[in-house]
Amino acid sequence: MTIGTDHAPLFADVLFWMLAVGSVLAGWRVFRADSMVRAAYWLLASFAGTAGILLLLHARFLGLILLLMMAGEMTIMAAFMVMFMMNPAGLNPMNMVHQHRTAIIAGVGAFLGLAAVGVFGEFPARPLLDASQVTADLGVELLGDSMMVFETAGVALLATMIGSIALAAHRGRFGPADEGSEPPALVPEAETVRPGDSRDEEQS
Amino acid sequence: MSLEILLVVAAALFGIGVYGALSQQSFVMIMMGLEMMLNGAILAGVSLWYFSAAGSPKGQLLAIVAMAVMAVEAAIGFALVINIYRVRKADITEKVKALRG
Amino acid sequence: MTDVAAGVLALGVALFLGVYLVSVLDRFVSDLVAGHGLTANVFWAGPRRAVLLLLQQPSRTERPDAEAWAFAPALLGALGALGLATIPLAPELPLADNADGIVLFGAAMALVMVAVFLHGWSANSVFPLIGAYRFVALALSYEMPLALVLISAALPAESLSVGEIIRSQTDVWNVIRQPLGLPIYMVTVAGLAFWGPLRLPDAADLSGGTRAEVSGPALAAWEVGRSMVLVAAAAMGAAAFLGGWLGPWLPGVVWMGLKTLVLLVLIVWSGHHLARVRTERFVVVAWVVLIPLALIDVFLSGWLALAAR
Repeated sequence: MTIGTDHAPLFADVLFWMLAVGSVLAGWRVFRADSMVRAAYWLLASFAGTAGILLLLHARFLGLILLLMMAGEMTIMAAFMVMFMMNPAGLNPMNMVHQHRTAIIAGVGAFLGLAAVGVFGEFPARPLLDASQVTADLGVELLGDSMMVFETAGVALLATMIGSIALAAHRGRFGPADEGSEPPALVPEAETVRPGDSRDEEQS
Repeated sequence: MSLEILLVVAAALFGIGVYGALSQQSFVMIMMGLEMMLNGAILAGVSLWYFSAAGSPKGQLLAIVAMAVMAVEAAIGFALVINIYRVRKADITEKVKALRG
Repeated sequence: MTDVAAGVLALGVALFLGVYLVSVLDRFVSDLVAGHGLTANVFWAGPRRAVLLLLQQPSRTERPDAEAWAFAPALLGALGALGLATIPLAPELPLADNADGIVLFGAAMALVMVAVFLHGWSANSVFPLIGAYRFVALALSYEMPLALVLISAALPAESLSVGEIIRSQTDVWNVIRQPLGLPIYMVTVAGLAFWGPLRLPDAADLSGGTRAEVSGPALAAWEVGRSMVLVAAAAMGAAAFLGGWLGPWLPGVVWMGLKTLVLLVLIVWSGHHLARVRTERFVVVAWVVLIPLALIDVFLSGWLALAAR
């Protein structure tokens, strides 16, 4: 099936394959990179590939917004990784995984199941015919028939803002958030130290 | 480029995401796995919109909702990571065995 | 195909002229401030520095992220070019008039954050990393006002195309219709191109910040990329708020160039006259003052656009 009228089909096909393969490869590199910053930006590269495919599918606004959103989010992600992880720069090889076999089986299983749905499923063939009004249609839909959905998403985001600030703010209503907290035991297999426990031991 | 191929690509992205979310120990890496799954979901949604929704903008709306979910997931996720690190000094799932605060 | 070739050529010429102009302006203002007499030096100081950097030996640090380090300046330059490509420089220039141009510009400018963070991170050195973190704080603060004032500029045009936005200003420019727009936009431009009072990530007080460990061709590429982002942002300011190519007597391209030049002079002038703002202070100002003002701008512009229908 050819897409649109304003692209040469061959050019669009070549571009599509590059973007698709690039997106999947970048996605695979996310969980194979030693450096945390690289992992975050491989994920951004994967999203950029998806955004490129969305542009080819004439969902121009969605593709660009995805790119815009992910640029900020992945930079924040990289900053968080550097803050929280040991060995953030990937100077040593690192493999922080658990239940590896189960995870591989689940991932491959999810891929095969969904791919089977995609290949063998029956979908109506009603392609987009006129791509000139796609963004305008979306805008009218968002503030017309689907305004409730849009508003719900907006309220959910507002609730998220309030909730995440309440969770992350250091000074809460009941005093400093980390009052009574202690670092975990240095031995890997030891139980997590409950707040207050070890402090009593030290004092006695 | 056809609907089948697009859905297979989306399934591959989703599968990588499932693998990442299940296998990684670090909280932030688990969130990356979740984002990867949503990446596949957005691609599948927009492909179906393009090939079988006859141009109805409701298909794009679904992608917008998925992006909102992604933003919510990231914000709440980071807030939880900060909170749990502050209280337990934990950055990987293995260090959080009890749900009690 | 010839249309595309002509557009790419026009873009290349505009970028080259813009970057050269920025170097001339920078030298000119700095000479004025220093009280030197004005000499012909201003015209070749920039090119001479470029040649000098190209001949200089590139420096290395211990175990840098080499690929990312090389990628960052290229990405910055590409984003500047992409940003400028969304702006029609004249009504008859073909390449640009993209239906979602202003969203594409926003996406390109959001990715500047990635380029600067990578540049600071990959040197594997302290000062560049601090510079990178500074820029993340800076960028997360200016992104919102930037997006909001650009959306306001698009409201009267009822279109996301930059060409339509320019055409909607035939009667009255947005700078008069939306008085809050241009001042807020210029503050965000200073952040975007980390120029003037917002030159935080590669500031002298960090002994060079993200470019502390860079020398030679990579440094030349980085500075050219930064100038390209500045040129693109100034051109967008001219298009979105000053009526782009609109104006009497002269051809459109000349008007566009003159308006861009005015905004460039403003930013470059600020670099030699205004003190650097501390990061945390700018973050507070951005979230407490700029974002509410930008929201007021959106509401007022929307109201005016509806009233004018």
